[in-house]
Amino acid sequence: MTDKHDEKLDSLLKDYPMPNADAAFYDQALARATQRGLKRRRRRGILGGVGAAVAAGLSAWVVFAFLMTAPTPIPGITVAIAEPQTVNLMFSSEQALDNATVTIILPEGIELDRFPGQREISWETSLVAGKNLLPLTILASADGEIEAQLKHNDRVRSFRLHIDAG
Amino acid sequence: MPTESSDFNAIVKPHCDRLYRLAWRLTGTRAEAEDLFQELLLKAFLKFDALVDIDDPGPWLARVMYNLYIDNTRRFKRQRLMTVGEGQLPGDGLEGVPGGLDPAADQERLQDILALDRALQKLSDAHRITVLLHDTEGYKLEEIEGLTGVPLGTVKSRLHRARARLKEILLEDGTFLD
Repeated sequence: MTDKHDEKLDSLLKDYPMPNADAAFYDQALARATQRGLKRRRRRGILGGVGAAVAAGLSAWVVFAFLMTAPTPIPGITVAIAEPQTVNLMFSSEQALDNATVTIILPEGIELDRFPGQREISWETSLVAGKNLLPLTILASADGEIEAQLKHNDRVRSFRLHIDAG
Repeated sequence: MPTESSDFNAIVKPHCDRLYRLAWRLTGTRAEAEDLFQELLLKAFLKFDALVDIDDPGPWLARVMYNLYIDNTRRFKRQRLMTVGEGQLPGDGLEGVPGGLDPAADQERLQDILALDRALQKLSDAHRITVLLHDTEGYKLEEIEGLTGVPLGTVKSRLHRARARLKEILLEDGTFLD
C-alpha cells in the first residue's frame, strides 16, 4: 500500500463527520444532571434513615431485599413526562428464530402508546439472525423499569430498561 | 451567590464540546452519545467534591466517560440488549459531510466517506476508537494512553494495525485503487 493511500485515508478520517449537539443540549444535560444528582442524594439520605430503622428491629428482611436489588446495573434512558417517545430495543440473535414470544412488562406510571392501562403485553414474532429492532412508543408519568422478555421454546431471556421520566 | 449547580456548570461547561465529541466517537450514534454524555455529567455531579479539587478537569472527565463507556459495553454485551433512538443507527451522522461547488465530486466524496464508515464498523472497538481519536479528533498518543489506561506501545500498535486494516478494506472494496 502506497503513501497515496495513507494520504487519502488521512483525508477521509479528518473529514469523517459528526453532527454537532443541539444548541440547548448542553444546558439541558447540565440541568438534568444537577437535578437528578440532588434527587439521588436525597434518596441516599432516605435509605440511610431506613437503615437506621432496620437496626432498631422490624421488617428487616423487606428492606434487605430492597437494598439487594436496588443497585442492579441496568441501562437507562430519560424521556419527557407524558409525551409519547419511541424507545428502540435491539435484540441480537445468533440465528433466525421462528415462533419467539416477546412479552413487555410495564410498571405503574409507564404505558405503551395505544395500550393504555395494560401492564403486560405479549405477542409472537420471528427474529432474524443479527440485530432485531423493537420500537416501543411509551408514555411515562413516573420513573420505572420496563422488562422485555424473549421466549423461544424453553429458553427465556429477560432484559430490563430503566426509564427516567425527567 | 454561587450555588453548587452554578459552580458545577462553570467547571464542566468549557469541556462539553470535547466530551460530547468523545462520546460520539466512542459510541457512533447520537442517542448513545447523548446518553453517555448525560451519564457522565450525573456521575461528575455526584463526585463534585472531588471535581472541584482537580486542576485540569478535562482529562479527568474524559477518563470517567471512557470508563463508563467500557462498563456499558460490557454490560450490554452480557445482556445482548442496547437502546438506540429512532433512526440513530451507526452512520447516521453522515449527512454532515460538507459539500463544495462540484456536485459530482461531492457525491464521490460522500461515497468514500460511506465506505470509510463501513470499514470502521469492521474494526474492533479498541482499534476503531484509537484511530478515530488520533486521526479524526487529533488526540496525541499520550492522551489516548491517559484516557484508556492502555500502554503507549499498545496504543501505537493499535493505531498502526487499525490504519493498515482500513486501507486493506478500502482497497478490497474499490474505494482505493491499486
